[in-house]
Amino acid sequence: MIEVNDVTKRYGNTVAVDHLSFTVQPGIVTGFLGPNGAGKTTTMRMMLGLDAPTSGNVTVDGHSYRSIPAPMHQVGALLDAKGAQRGHTAHQHLRWLARAGGIPRQRIDEVLAIVGLSDVAGKRVGEFSLGMYQRLGIAAALLGDPGVLLFDEPVNGLDPEGIRWIRILLKRLASEGRTIFVSSHLMSEMEETADHILVISRGRLIADATVAEFTQRSASSHVRVVSPQAACLAQLLQGAGATVTSRDGELTVTGMDASRIGALALEQRIELHELTAQRATLEAAFMELTEGTLEYHSTVPDGSGDTANTQPSTRTETP
Amino acid sequence: MTSETTTAGAPIALSDSQRPARFTDTLASEWVKLTALRSTSITLALALVLSIGTTALATVAVAATQDEWPANLDPKVFWAIGNIFSLIVLSVFGALAATREYSSGLIQLTLTATPRRGRVFGAKLVLVSVVTLLCGMIATVGMFLIAQAVLGWYGLPVMDLGDADARRTVLGMGAVMPFFPVVGLALGFLLRSTAGAITTVLGLLWLPEIFGEVMPMWWRENIISLLPGKAVDSFTLGHVVQSPSYSDPWIGAAIAGAWLVAVVGAAYLTFVRRDA
Repeated sequence: MIEVNDVTKRYGNTVAVDHLSFTVQPGIVTGFLGPNGAGKTTTMRMMLGLDAPTSGNVTVDGHSYRSIPAPMHQVGALLDAKGAQRGHTAHQHLRWLARAGGIPRQRIDEVLAIVGLSDVAGKRVGEFSLGMYQRLGIAAALLGDPGVLLFDEPVNGLDPEGIRWIRILLKRLASEGRTIFVSSHLMSEMEETADHILVISRGRLIADATVAEFTQRSASSHVRVVSPQAACLAQLLQGAGATVTSRDGELTVTGMDASRIGALALEQRIELHELTAQRATLEAAFMELTEGTLEYHSTVPDGSGDTANTQPSTRTETP
Repeated sequence: MTSETTTAGAPIALSDSQRPARFTDTLASEWVKLTALRSTSITLALALVLSIGTTALATVAVAATQDEWPANLDPKVFWAIGNIFSLIVLSVFGALAATREYSSGLIQLTLTATPRRGRVFGAKLVLVSVVTLLCGMIATVGMFLIAQAVLGWYGLPVMDLGDADARRTVLGMGAVMPFFPVVGLALGFLLRSTAGAITTVLGLLWLPEIFGEVMPMWWRENIISLLPGKAVDSFTLGHVVQSPSYSDPWIGAAIAGAWLVAVVGAAYLTFVRRDA
């Protein structure tokens, strides 16, 4: 379990992380989402004691990282996969790490097998592809068999097979009761992998929810209703607090779930022909949340409709 | 650990094969990191070959062309002419021990594995000191012996390590060899840049040598003598060579020690406190 308590990190006048508080629970995969520059890596660096918070504190299993007695057995991390000595072989790279944590040498071969690098154990790291660096970084994180694992953008540079592999690995590690914290700017990835989602933008937490809650709350989640008495139903639903738009006898309802709409219609004996809940994708929900909070805006107007969110929302509500 | 932070997250119990890390683990880790690199053995071999080779060649050049040892060359220190190469190569070695961490991005992993930064700093300090001490001793003894062998070959007067002055010079010069490499290591931690650390340590090493001798007497006595190079030289050579830039040998040792404490202390405090 990781606890972030009211953490702020400033670099000169730039606020990288702004009064951030959350906890990461064991037994599930927690996705840490946000656009590039949102403060994800800075937050993870503070969890690992690499950077000190300007104010607030971070604890891992109740300890500040720097005072953990056996850090490699308690926390494993993949931050910068390319952070390796080019002249070392994969095996040598893991050997100095194992030595630092007092970890027996046979564990090196075990983790190399887990990440599928056994055949290139004697190859120099400088000759590795980005995908191989990622696998080596994951092997390094797993060396001490830790209960808490942090991965910063682990799917970077992996091929589809590698992405599938890491997804299964993360779920398996979580099912063993470990705390798994994975950052990504790729929503689609988290949708498949994470159980719980934390979204930050400009260093602030803007969502802390399960994947289901997160997509449900999104404005682009709606219920499609078809009824011969559409006008009457629209009035009824609006009266009950929902937002309704109407087109050719088909209603798009937001702010109310399908079961409540069905119940209200039944009460008033309104005939329904269709009642369909349309869940937003995580991608759409994320775009909606971070819109207007991005640090760097594209100057090209986004009219291409390449996201599922076709109704840009100006909501600033924090779920 | 406060009570409120432990309510939900029980500390992970370490199994029998898992134990808290110790300083000796960090030392072993840094040793593996260093010796696994091919460049380490090449660098150390280069220091020995350049220093002993230069002394051998220079001694041959003098001995083969002169009937007698020239009066303007001091036989008590001439054999150490190759020492500057050990100093340069080993100073670079010391600086790289710190800056390689930053240039490769390794430092994040190093400090994640060993968050107690004092241990990482201490382990590197011990390794650089011991390795350069051993290499320095081999270099100075090697230079001395090869020079005497060449002189003997040409029938010129030789010294041996039974001579107290000669012994003190040889052992003293070997013993202080870690000085500049450790300064290089400290500058590496301070500047986190290979080019910056090497330029600074070689500047500190060379500039007084180049400009020191042409400075006015007052400067040599009061300023140049306080610089680390001359302070170290006063300790190793002060008993056989006179120079206005030299202090009393033990005062020289004290000045050098003060430099070391200042630079290493600043590097330690910075490394322990600064964001990695």
